[in-house]
Amino acid sequence: MSSLLDIKDLHAGITDKPIINGLSLSINPGEVHAIMGPNGSGKSTLSYVLSGKSGYEVNGGEMLFEGQELAEMTPEARAIAGLFLAFQYPLEIPGVTNMTFLKTSLNAIRRGRGEEDMDAASFLRLAREKSRALGMDDDMLRRQLNVGFSGGEKKRNEILQMAMLEPKLAILDETDSGLDIDALKTVAEGVNALRSPERGMLVITHYQRLLDFIKPDVVHVMAKGQIVKSGGPELALELEKSGYAEYVGGADAASAGSPAHA
Amino acid sequence: MLDAQAHFEQIRDTLPGDGQARAATLAAAEAVGLPTRRVESWHYTDLARLLKSGETAVVRAVDFSSVEALEAHFENGVLQSEPQADGLQITPFLGTLASPDAPSPDNVMANYNHALAQNGLTAEVSGTLAHPLVIRTSGSEPVHLAHKISLAAGAKAVLVDDHMATGYSNVVFDITLGEGAELTLLRSQQAGHQVGLSHVTLEQDAKYKSVAMISGGTLARHEAHVSLKAAQAHAELHSAVLGHGLSKAATHADFTYVIEHQAADTSSHTSAYNVLDGNARGVFQGKIIVRPDAQRVDAQMQTRAMMLSEGAEMDAKPELEIYADDVVCAHGSAIGELDRDALFFLRSRGLDEASARHLLVAAFLEQVTTHIDDEGLSEIMRGLVDAKINTLLGNFNGGASA
Repeated sequence: MSSLLDIKDLHAGITDKPIINGLSLSINPGEVHAIMGPNGSGKSTLSYVLSGKSGYEVNGGEMLFEGQELAEMTPEARAIAGLFLAFQYPLEIPGVTNMTFLKTSLNAIRRGRGEEDMDAASFLRLAREKSRALGMDDDMLRRQLNVGFSGGEKKRNEILQMAMLEPKLAILDETDSGLDIDALKTVAEGVNALRSPERGMLVITHYQRLLDFIKPDVVHVMAKGQIVKSGGPELALELEKSGYAEYVGGADAASAGSPAHA
Repeated sequence: MLDAQAHFEQIRDTLPGDGQARAATLAAAEAVGLPTRRVESWHYTDLARLLKSGETAVVRAVDFSSVEALEAHFENGVLQSEPQADGLQITPFLGTLASPDAPSPDNVMANYNHALAQNGLTAEVSGTLAHPLVIRTSGSEPVHLAHKISLAAGAKAVLVDDHMATGYSNVVFDITLGEGAELTLLRSQQAGHQVGLSHVTLEQDAKYKSVAMISGGTLARHEAHVSLKAAQAHAELHSAVLGHGLSKAATHADFTYVIEHQAADTSSHTSAYNVLDGNARGVFQGKIIVRPDAQRVDAQMQTRAMMLSEGAEMDAKPELEIYADDVVCAHGSAIGELDRDALFFLRSRGLDEASARHLLVAAFLEQVTTHIDDEGLSEIMRGLVDAKINTLLGNFNGGASA
């Protein structure tokens, strides 16, 4: 089976500051991978490098998405190819309704794939169906994008975008941050509903808690810009007990602490 | 630049009213001369310099047919069509309005208007106008217009000031709103050099809402004096500027307000959104005055600017003058660039860079358009903004600078 995402010896960072130092990772269709690690280990940087945020530079190695080098693609080309990033801190954009935004996004991606725009009636039906499945009422579609949304509503809205765009690979960057347990469950259910044999997922999280609800196939520990250990779901439980200390080492160990009590 | 004296001699025979009085007013105005930057209310707008720029390009008229608008069209100052509707009474323009104060550098432009006003709409509204009333100003000759709009108690109207004249114009609006009257004034300026002045008075329970959209022209000076005279009077002034162009062809948009709360339990809400590219300059001067007995006043004032180039400039000067102690007054100002994180977010959702920029600029200005209650009119204004953003998008991408 060929990989959906194949990262080999990736070096990346902000201008002259290296953050990712020789990271390798391979995700197959249908697999859910979790990346855990202490703050500052480069988890969010990895998500930005993969999705093409400006200011982040790739200095070596490769990151192939279905055989295509991501570094050579614009952020929109990556989205059109089927990559999706659920943001840790979703932005508020006053002046554009959620509905208009979703429609613009969906049709931009369809056009990028050489498909026709979705007609208005079909779009409306799809948006309502997907948002109701996430427990969002229709009013949230009419409101301005994320404006006045609670933390949980913003994260749910990210998952709604994912459900509408049906990506091949979804990266969830600390989707659990700022969520109470009920919101976490709703969001996790939304994510689980999107699991499929064709779709890969990369779940970035600091805490084990999210992985109680989204069961990963593979768990990686990231420290100092590298994957330092990989294993099955049991690795997450192990980290819950022992913390990241053994992966951080030196003076950092004390401050890194246990993820459960950080 | 306009030679006022020569212009007066040229049109003198066509002017209604007392020619002698006009000549005297003009002489007094000329003795004061155009306001310079030393005059505080004109500090950011160098009128003499701005009036040296030539005519601006001819623009397409906004199509208001979808809202079945009534139209009063002034072409080079000559009324082309007179609107007729139930509840609307138009009387012929008989010359100057009420005699202005003696000219001072602060109000001399009103005196020029008083002396040279060649036409204007004198309208009284009783009842509710079923359709918007559009005052369209077109042509290329220098023009002085003086409009007088009165709404009787309980009357309701939507007025549109569609400015597409390509030359110099000095336009005065004198607006009085009787008890419980409601007026929305939608203003669009697409061209020319306009010096605009409006005086608005509101009686008890009256509501005034002005929504302005400046999408072209090299000078758009909109000065408004709003007096809230009795309880529950409410005024809203919202402005959007889509400024562009380089050096002499750049947009200069100046909104200068004096909002005076003369009575208790009155409220005002002001917002200004400026998108500035090239060498465009936005000016916002907003003064809120709360008189001693005007308790429980609620006055809010917000200025926002999105700077798209190094060569653009925004000057924002909010002022509060409060003589009552139980009031809620606030002002805020934020000037920034196009949000890079928002741009990345939109691109990560499949929008190309140009579309993402378009969406962000449109969304920014939508915060003004959203105040237009009439759906038909708000769609028309959105269309105007969208078309303008499309023609400017090349500049947006290049981030044109000085």
